[in-house]
Amino acid sequence: MEFYYGLAQTIGVHTLLGLSAYIVLLTGQVTMAQAAFFAIGAYTAGMLTVLAGWHLVPAIGAGALTGAATACAVGFPALRVKGLMLVVATLAFGEGVRLFFFNFDYQVARGEIRVGPLGGEGFRQIRFFQENGWTTGEVMLFIWVFVLLAMAILWWFDRSRYGAVLRAVGEDELAAQSVGINLTAVKVSAMTVGGAVAGVGGALYAHYTTHIEHANFGVLLATFAIAYPIVGGLRNVFGTLAAVVFVQALLVEGLRDLGDWRNLLFGALIVLAMNLRPQGLFGGRRA
Amino acid sequence: MLDFLQAASDGVLFGTTYALIGIGFTLVFGVMHKLNLAYAAASIGAAYSGLIILQAWTAAPAWAVFLAAFIAGGLIGWMVYLTCFHFIPLSHPLAPLMATVGMLLLIDEIIVHMTDGMPQNYPAVYDDVMLRIGEFMVRGDLLLVGAVSVLCMIGLLALLYRTRLGLATRAVSQQAVAAQLCGIRVGQVNAMTFVITGLVGGLAGALIGASVGALSPLLTAPLTVKGLIVTVIGGLGSIPGAIVAGLLVGGFENVFQLYRGVTERDLYVMLLLFAFLVFRPGGIFAPRGGRD
Repeated sequence: MEFYYGLAQTIGVHTLLGLSAYIVLLTGQVTMAQAAFFAIGAYTAGMLTVLAGWHLVPAIGAGALTGAATACAVGFPALRVKGLMLVVATLAFGEGVRLFFFNFDYQVARGEIRVGPLGGEGFRQIRFFQENGWTTGEVMLFIWVFVLLAMAILWWFDRSRYGAVLRAVGEDELAAQSVGINLTAVKVSAMTVGGAVAGVGGALYAHYTTHIEHANFGVLLATFAIAYPIVGGLRNVFGTLAAVVFVQALLVEGLRDLGDWRNLLFGALIVLAMNLRPQGLFGGRRA
Repeated sequence: MLDFLQAASDGVLFGTTYALIGIGFTLVFGVMHKLNLAYAAASIGAAYSGLIILQAWTAAPAWAVFLAAFIAGGLIGWMVYLTCFHFIPLSHPLAPLMATVGMLLLIDEIIVHMTDGMPQNYPAVYDDVMLRIGEFMVRGDLLLVGAVSVLCMIGLLALLYRTRLGLATRAVSQQAVAAQLCGIRVGQVNAMTFVITGLVGGLAGALIGASVGALSPLLTAPLTVKGLIVTVIGGLGSIPGAIVAGLLVGGFENVFQLYRGVTERDLYVMLLLFAFLVFRPGGIFAPRGGRD
């Protein structure tokens, strides 16, 4: 049972990551910075619970806030450039953040051991759940509360006027602008919401793995973040969830018996899926 | 001062490989307005194919390995085109991007699978040659990298500006619909662009292998990032821009490696990129406006 709880935790956190890219993708922007916001949320929340002794819930809130603030700050200069330039700008930002954490030391003596982030070795002993005696099942439920909350909020956004505005910008910027939509405001706000969701995901990730390091937040994670909504389709938030289950449960865990061949199949299946269903596995006719 | 010059010149010579990778990204973007994220992985993969020749023919001279990498690059480029672009309708711009990501993972995994994840030695060329000018030295292998890259760039520019295929390629990149109306087979031009960039990439991969002395799948992610940075700094779609930016990034990172160490140097490359995005978002050679 522990195994399935662990799998559900991974799926939950990756769903948050995917959702953070989903809302940005609705505006037609491809962002490779979600792993960076995820990392910022993870380090912020981890440092607050471990070094400052905060409770987890406000620490997650702080992770969301720093994620959102960074996303907003990145959004303004980065969104001056469009389309593929943005892919590169956000990719470089993500790598920059990863390299920042690679060089980031802030350790405090706690009894016998020193705790806190230590450059390339990463940040160990984020043991909030263990110290407070949470079981794996409880942690899983805790994570899924946040996942469902994020899904509900984004679902509501999607149904509201705001969602229509986001999709209008994604469909045709010129047309959206000509009916009086402020492109910068829409894109930066989508980026900010995405940053907050990624920050929450990162905060939860840091606490259930207990050890984070810069290598966790590389280009690969950023790619996964946009892969989930694209593979799942942009019709609604459930596409992203379904894609996470497809990738994490079916491809990563389900193919485990295949050993070495699993990783080969993984890339090939993504290529195949995109050829057969370019609108996403669960997308509508027009994404 | 001498250290600075030394680091800068080594960096600029190695930067020619970044320029080649940047050209590959920029050409595909110019012609198709799409990003081929599998490109750097394909280039490294092609360089690995050169090693297969070595297994069959242990005494193979370095040029044979390079030639094999060159040809394999073209083949892999064509395969990437077929699997990631040819069958996906234009109305779904995100799908080919994602497909190239899948291809990137696939190529990486094939390499890991074939080599058990071990770095492979690559035949170094002229690594014992040193040109000395007083205290200043130029490494022979880096000089070869620079020379071959420059020759490759000249060949590419000649192809683009002196042949009918080049004319068609430039026409498609300016206005695909108008080019099609003039009787240019856009699909064929697209496929040829992938083959040509693949050939260039294979050569770049082999040069990187030769100057580093080894190949590892770990090279693909940084090379993808560097190539994209070069593309943006140079201006999307601009070949001279990619060349200048490649040399700039190569020199810049080596100088910062000298002063700030290897773990921090890429951070400064990112800062350089952001400086360009803020002050000159179009890149060094911004393409003329109003293409579409």
